[in-house]
Amino acid sequence: MLNFILRRLAIAIPTILVIILFSFLLMHSAPGGPFTAERKLPPEVLANVEKKYGLDKPLYQQIGVYVKNVVTDFDFGPSFKYKNLTVNEIIASGFPVTLVYGMWSFLFATIIGVSLGVIAALKHNTWLDYLATSTAIIGSVLPNFVMAPLLVLLFTVYLNWLPGGGWEGGQWQFIIMPVIALATSYLASIARITRSSMLEVLNSNFIRTARSKGLPTHYIILHHALKPAMLPVLTSLGLSFVGMVTGSVIIDQYFSTGGIGQHFVNAALNRDYSVIMGVTILVGTLTIVFNLLVEILYAWIDPRIRY
Amino acid sequence: MDRPQNSLLIVMYVDNIKIQTLADNLSDGSEIEGRSLWQDARHRFFKNKAALISLITLSLIVLFAFVGPQFSPWDYEEIDWDAMGDVQVLGAPSFASGHYFGTDDLGRDLYSRVIQGTQISLMVGLIGSFIAVVVGTLYGAIAGYLGGRIDSAMMRTVDILMAIPFMFVLILLMVMFGRSIFMIFIGIGLLSWLDMSRIIRGQTLSLKNKEFIEAAIATGVKPFTIVTRHIVPNVLGIVVVYATLLVPGMIMTESFISFLGLGVQEPQTSWGALINEGARTLQNGTLWQLLFPLFFFITTLLSFFFIGDGLRDALDPKDR
Amino acid sequence: MKIIPSTLLVLVVSSLLGITTGFASNAHPVTGEKLANEQVFYYRIGAESPSIDPQLVEDVEGSAISRDLFEGLLTQNADGTLAPGVAQRWEGNDSKDSYTFHLRKNARWSNGDPVTAHDFVYAWRRAVDPVVSSPYASFMELTSIKNVADILKGNKPTSSLGVKAVDDYTLQVSLSGSLSYFPSMMVHTTTFPTHQKTIEKHGTSWTKPENMVSNGAYKLTEHILNERMVRERNTMYWNNDKTIIDKTVGLIITDENQAYNRYQASELYKTEVPTGQFKRLKKQLPIETHSNPRLCSYYYLFNMEDETLKHLNLRKALTLAINRSIVTDKILGAGQIPAYSFTPGSTANFIVPDTAYGKMSQKDRNKLAISLLAEEGYSRSNPLKVTLLYNTSEGHKKIAIAIRQMWKSVGIQATLENQEWKTFLSTRDAGNFQIARSGWCGDYNEASTFLDLMRSDSDQNDSNYNNPVVDELIVSARTLDDPNPNYKKVEELIAKDFPISPIYHYTGVLMLKPYVKGWPHQNVEANWYSKDLYITAH
Repeated sequence: MLNFILRRLAIAIPTILVIILFSFLLMHSAPGGPFTAERKLPPEVLANVEKKYGLDKPLYQQIGVYVKNVVTDFDFGPSFKYKNLTVNEIIASGFPVTLVYGMWSFLFATIIGVSLGVIAALKHNTWLDYLATSTAIIGSVLPNFVMAPLLVLLFTVYLNWLPGGGWEGGQWQFIIMPVIALATSYLASIARITRSSMLEVLNSNFIRTARSKGLPTHYIILHHALKPAMLPVLTSLGLSFVGMVTGSVIIDQYFSTGGIGQHFVNAALNRDYSVIMGVTILVGTLTIVFNLLVEILYAWIDPRIRY
Repeated sequence: MDRPQNSLLIVMYVDNIKIQTLADNLSDGSEIEGRSLWQDARHRFFKNKAALISLITLSLIVLFAFVGPQFSPWDYEEIDWDAMGDVQVLGAPSFASGHYFGTDDLGRDLYSRVIQGTQISLMVGLIGSFIAVVVGTLYGAIAGYLGGRIDSAMMRTVDILMAIPFMFVLILLMVMFGRSIFMIFIGIGLLSWLDMSRIIRGQTLSLKNKEFIEAAIATGVKPFTIVTRHIVPNVLGIVVVYATLLVPGMIMTESFISFLGLGVQEPQTSWGALINEGARTLQNGTLWQLLFPLFFFITTLLSFFFIGDGLRDALDPKDR
Repeated sequence: MKIIPSTLLVLVVSSLLGITTGFASNAHPVTGEKLANEQVFYYRIGAESPSIDPQLVEDVEGSAISRDLFEGLLTQNADGTLAPGVAQRWEGNDSKDSYTFHLRKNARWSNGDPVTAHDFVYAWRRAVDPVVSSPYASFMELTSIKNVADILKGNKPTSSLGVKAVDDYTLQVSLSGSLSYFPSMMVHTTTFPTHQKTIEKHGTSWTKPENMVSNGAYKLTEHILNERMVRERNTMYWNNDKTIIDKTVGLIITDENQAYNRYQASELYKTEVPTGQFKRLKKQLPIETHSNPRLCSYYYLFNMEDETLKHLNLRKALTLAINRSIVTDKILGAGQIPAYSFTPGSTANFIVPDTAYGKMSQKDRNKLAISLLAEEGYSRSNPLKVTLLYNTSEGHKKIAIAIRQMWKSVGIQATLENQEWKTFLSTRDAGNFQIARSGWCGDYNEASTFLDLMRSDSDQNDSNYNNPVVDELIVSARTLDDPNPNYKKVEELIAKDFPISPIYHYTGVLMLKPYVKGWPHQNVEANWYSKDLYITAH
């Protein structure tokens, strides 16, 4: 087991390097640069700015300097767009916000999603199943750019129950709508996966045996079915988690949460090179870490798996 | 270790557990005799009510996308200058004006635009998933068939690619290929084959030791021919199911691109673009601008899900 | 008709009344309106500003924040006329190439330091310092202050800039040529003073709330990236006694419809009218919906080096076939003005010339367009094929779609190409287009801020227009007492050569709660100052 973890960690480092290299090249091949503006900079000024940010150097040197700064000082550089902020500061300001609403979304999506899935599986082919399944599918296909304005119209404009946006340090009223809007599609897919996995288990021989022994249904579900049924769900939870805690541009833009999700889109549109790199590395690292955690959990729950 | 992962945003919509189970079950059955499997599957598919209704619905939508324009006096790009200034009143759905679904904010006929959007969105979904499936199948089959170092190198590459944030690559692709939606979908297809390749590789590994493959190798058939002639046809079931379930994801992704305003070039449109325009004007009293495209969007995606699930159940030998 | 108090009036009246402290739960000193207890102004910011450092500010939202936090030599009254700021009075010499500003002695920085002429010298040198690389360095060039161009190129030190502190409270500026409108350029943020010690101590992070020292009516107290920007009363401000708003909160909301939702819930007191909704909102909420003329032009650029568009007849036909009143009345519908000249009529002292095609009816224009196209061998059966480039935006899209249809009716087949902003800019800059959308807002209230773009050596001349007569007229206008005849001639040449096709002149459309008073609706530059606003009881 330890050996396996070490081996995975050893792969993680070159993976991150590849991510850096790949993003760097892709980013620089996009037309326009961070200082392309409607009001063009005089050529001399432009040359100066590019020098200030090291953009006058050849690409391979830029990558070299970047990696060195990240590794030795954990310094992701200054933002090219926001003149008084560094990437570290941008992440430090946005990530905690996203983490809060992401965690709540994760809890919400998991609890409701798993319950819905289990109910649908237990009441297989009844109206309850169809209701749960259709809700889940519609939930997963309703774009959140439709969901978000609907929520605001309902809770803010008509009912006047919740503030239409903002964060204010994360008070509960500001969290509710982002969580609903973000969690719905994840919730739906968790429910679908839970349902099919649960059905699979319920049809297996050992559950049939348990049933034939006359054990009560809730006992069978809690003690026999739930654990093996949760195994496949776990895999998707790992990545859903990363997806939720890195937020969403739609949530951040609609609800002005100040989270990190919008930087994926905005930094790319602004050609804010250092911010693109920073968030890419952040998400890449989280993905690797959570994949690893899921695999470890998997091995722990299912002793048949050996590495 | 070969466990499927939901790597990318869009693959969230594909229920990988089911695909994997199906894959496991298919390779458990020691011999696959093509004809009987497919015949049997067809029989069972048609017994699945939800899948059958979905198939009919989807066929109707496709039919609508092709013959619909015959019934409209308006072209999808033509502006009704009269309706333009007062869309809330004159642009409302009406048979008298010939705008069956009303008009958009510029006075263009929504019925014709929904049809146009349907064509584009379906095309985009099919192209994207076709590319993902072809690349994924070939990649996985080659890796699995060749085995050894090449296999592990290829699979490590997949691992690495999976850790690259999809959203970011997507946006840079849009920036670079902004001029053509199809280029974007070729790009997205090229990003979405990762899960597929893992599943197919696993399948190939277990097929590799079957007699008919060994016989082919013994008679000197070239490796690439073995992959295309013998391995791919035997994993076709999973491929079809996977492709069906991938289409909704592709359509969803297109709608997100449209949300950012970077989708298909005007005057062409897509469901995503139409829904986005409709959602922006929720309060304008032009609700039809959201509801019509949304109806087609949701109905189609639901249909693809049920068809995919139905196909999976039908092809699963364990359920026989 | 709202009564808008001028700073001076407030000053006189309130000193008569002997009011020295805040106005909470008081009546307004001039109008007598009952004021709200809470004087907090909430408004929408469309996007996070790249910087609020006066010398680095580049966007509209950032400038508004900067104008609250800092005060330049001059400010504006509600109608856009000049008012004393840090400078109590100013004068120019007869040849208008040297100006002297006399600073008030009671101006203070938020840390108590006096605001002196040296602060301006420091700030202006900073604005032209190649190392600082201000995005508005080119604006400093437009002010004609001596040596700006050489300093920007790195040929001369910043100390050679033509500005001098004669003593602590006298600032003298020498220009490279005469410029009669120089004082009006002093309301621009790039010329605002900055506090040398603070900048030297904190470097780029001096604009953080905990570090910033400012001299305006407000100081920055909170800044959360992409969420909010809060500024509160600066008690050190020389005219603090007359300030009514205690706190201004800018909420960053990207989506205009979402901003309007929050406006409806009264979370915001001011927001923009969402695209295409002006008419409906004007009907529903007539008091809250405003449309004010702006100093901005919306136009399409022709690439004059393009093989097809180098033909004058085609450029002319394309220009003629646009039905501008459909764009302004039906698509935008918020009082925008159809444009047949580049410079908007709202520009000070500028009289819009009657261009030949401006006087025709649309029917005649279309006829003429068809015959011009026929001369070049195009017709409806053999249409002229062009590509129209525009950047991603709901509004630009709608206009492009409609214009495409208008062109179609005279035999022009346009392909629309939408590109994301930065790609768009680099495509346009590289000249890889036939027709491209463009827009320009004046940096100061004078026609040259527009017409300069038509100079063949202007960085902004993306159509590659090259007419020596135009160049000559623009350059010589600078030294004239009345430059307007020159401007008129330039406009006439534009309407003859068609390097661009003007489409409309902007209006600023905003929603403002009825209890927010003092908004400068008449200011065509849309420069507003929180210190001039107040909130009545509601």
